[in-house]
Amino acid sequence: MTTTSPIVVAPRKRRDPVLIGLWISLVLVAIIWLAPVAFITFTAMKSESEVFSSAAFALPSKIEWNNFALAWAKGDFNNTFWNSTVITLVKVPLGLVISAMAAYALAQIRFGWNKMLLVFLLFGAMIPFQVMLAPLFTLVNSLSLIDTYPGIILPYLAFGVPYQVFILHGFFKAIPKELTEAALIDGASHFVIFRRIFLPVCLPVLAALLILDFVATWNEFAMALVLLQDKSMWTLPLGLMSFQSQFSNNYSQLNAAIVITVLPATLVYLIFQRYFVSGLTSGAVKG
Amino acid sequence: MLLAPALAIYTLFAIWPLIDVFILSFQDWNGINENREWVGLRNYYHILYNDPVFWVAFRNTVIWTIMSVIFPPVLGLFLALGLNQNLIGRAPLRAIYYLPVIIAPIAVATMWRWMYDPFFGLFTQLLTNAGLAQLIPDWLGDKDVALYSIFVAYVWQSVGFSMVLFLAGLQSVDRSLIDAARIDGANRRKIFEHVTLPALRPTITIVLVLSTISSLKAFDIVYGMTGGGPAQSTQMLALWAFTQSMEIFNYGRGSAVSVVLLTITLAIVVPYMSWSQRREEDAQ
Repeated sequence: MTTTSPIVVAPRKRRDPVLIGLWISLVLVAIIWLAPVAFITFTAMKSESEVFSSAAFALPSKIEWNNFALAWAKGDFNNTFWNSTVITLVKVPLGLVISAMAAYALAQIRFGWNKMLLVFLLFGAMIPFQVMLAPLFTLVNSLSLIDTYPGIILPYLAFGVPYQVFILHGFFKAIPKELTEAALIDGASHFVIFRRIFLPVCLPVLAALLILDFVATWNEFAMALVLLQDKSMWTLPLGLMSFQSQFSNNYSQLNAAIVITVLPATLVYLIFQRYFVSGLTSGAVKG
Repeated sequence: MLLAPALAIYTLFAIWPLIDVFILSFQDWNGINENREWVGLRNYYHILYNDPVFWVAFRNTVIWTIMSVIFPPVLGLFLALGLNQNLIGRAPLRAIYYLPVIIAPIAVATMWRWMYDPFFGLFTQLLTNAGLAQLIPDWLGDKDVALYSIFVAYVWQSVGFSMVLFLAGLQSVDRSLIDAARIDGANRRKIFEHVTLPALRPTITIVLVLSTISSLKAFDIVYGMTGGGPAQSTQMLALWAFTQSMEIFNYGRGSAVSVVLLTITLAIVVPYMSWSQRREEDAQ
């Protein structure tokens, strides 16, 4: 414990009984929070017979890597992993680019109804898309885009735009309009101003949004369930769901499948942790 | 133009379905026929008077929403207050609490379904070892228990989200006020009541509204854990709208359910948006 604490802790005492009690309870709750993850991971590494004979939190006596290979093959993970990767890698950067352009236009170019357009866009961030799954299916179907990459990426883009515009608009608004106007007089186009001035400034926010959106897209289930009917187009969450219903009695492989599905997002989270918090909070809770 | 791509995609794929769901709710359509037949309010009449599942779903959605406005935010607030202190290892602790938020809801459903397994699941094992085997309910198979079993998984997943929002809100609490209060002899509880809590008020509103909205959307986790069963006892409005349209192919009734849910959501969202707009303007 250092004495530079900015918060409530009194610097004069090094060990405060209340804080020690607090710390112990926080650690205990954290252990409970982590327990399901540990249980799943351990089960994934145990042989089928060990799952039934050993205690829930007993470490596996021998790690059965084979579970992962078998789950991978049975669950057709080659396919679903590939689809998830393609969809995420196309959707996330593309979505950020169009959102950033829109946010820039709304924040920096005056054309009368900026505010109305902004509210119109923000509205979408609040509307649960789960309500519109049927008309969404009808629409995508009428465009004959069911079971295609554009057929899922376009709706993903549409429902990603509001939140990202909201956050980025907040940032762009803080940059004085005079700067843009001066650059315009000097002959720079909006594209150049956007790329040279705004993009570098908001790089950290863009990074945060990129990571949040990566996880959200990677995990999305309901829309994929409706728009990707054909097995060959399924994403990871759909694959896991079907794995569960087909092989639910093979516990160690089921758990291996869960681990495979969850691992990429978890790794991204662990690596880019601090961006998550800033991305989530920069828009929602401003002082 | 810069605005055009975002606006076009958003209008076509987000706003048009929203309008279409209203249109569909006054029509009879199976999803395949060429023409959709106008039936006026018949779909609404049916779901309100002749569809017992609708009311189960409605009741469950209300229970679920009330529980998710209480439990995750309160727990999240406590964690945030604790983790806002200068403690050893608070960064890893925060990371642990937030971890479930980034796990796909469908994977959470699969995980918890296995933990609730009536024979080898985690909870059954723990209770058996504690000698309480006779107390073990059929977690997801008993229709009086299932909804709450799912909700526990939901709490596990969503607490981290409330916590992070509260942690951010706590950064806006004025430290000089806290120091001044302490010098004046206020104890921890007093400081919390008179300094921290008032400063957190806007954050609390935000957390409560976001919790409400996300709880109305509850879909993945219920779909993955019970699919609305047993005997529709865990059915929710969002899931029932989906089931009616996409599985029973009655788009009209499904859309009518959607419109009911949408109306509830708008009743919360519209006042919230005008509130936050006013707040934004005050801040400028």
